[in-house]
Amino acid sequence: MNADQVLDAKGLACPMPIIRTKKAIEELASGQILEVQTTDKGSQNDLTGWANSTGHHLLESAEDNGIYTFWIKKK
Amino acid sequence: MATKVAIIAANGGLFDAYKVFNIATAAAASDAEVGIFFTFEGLNLIHKQAHQQLPMPAGAEHFAEGFQKANVPSIPELVSMAQELGVKIIACQMTMDVMNLKEEDFIDGIEVGGAATFIDFAKDANISLSF
Repeated sequence: MNADQVLDAKGLACPMPIIRTKKAIEELASGQILEVQTTDKGSQNDLTGWANSTGHHLLESAEDNGIYTFWIKKK
Repeated sequence: MATKVAIIAANGGLFDAYKVFNIATAAAASDAEVGIFFTFEGLNLIHKQAHQQLPMPAGAEHFAEGFQKANVPSIPELVSMAQELGVKIIACQMTMDVMNLKEEDFIDGIEVGGAATFIDFAKDANISLSF
């Protein structure tokens, strides 16, 4: 998927991936897509919950070799 | 309705600090309005010197390595992120008087108030937590 911005949050522990995601999404315009990469095992649930709370759209997520990738569309 | 989170921080150890600031920053990053009332030992968590070297619980010192390995941010880092995200920090006036502490003994950007100040903030909170 084509992202407008990529956030590398690999190696960061909770709650940092969420905080970085929040800051990164603020830089985008409505409708743009942020790609977030993490290694925190909790981030699968956390980013889903975060998108739910904030109203941004989690379009897709994937896991490959311990690296989680999320595509989030700014509301 | 926007989420509002009211937290009471009443304990002063390192684990307490992580519980308080992880929840507070995660909530603020999820667009919630967050306020924390620091009372009694909880004041350690925002005391200029004390919050930089908070004690581990007795017998848990061996977790220090785990904190490093997990790449967990330091408490001063989490505190400044909380403030950046707009978390309101209220220090308990009564405890400060009892312990002879002044506003300048604490990190910048705090508010000093009594129990009623916190209650006024918390009265319409949909999440209330006490640590």
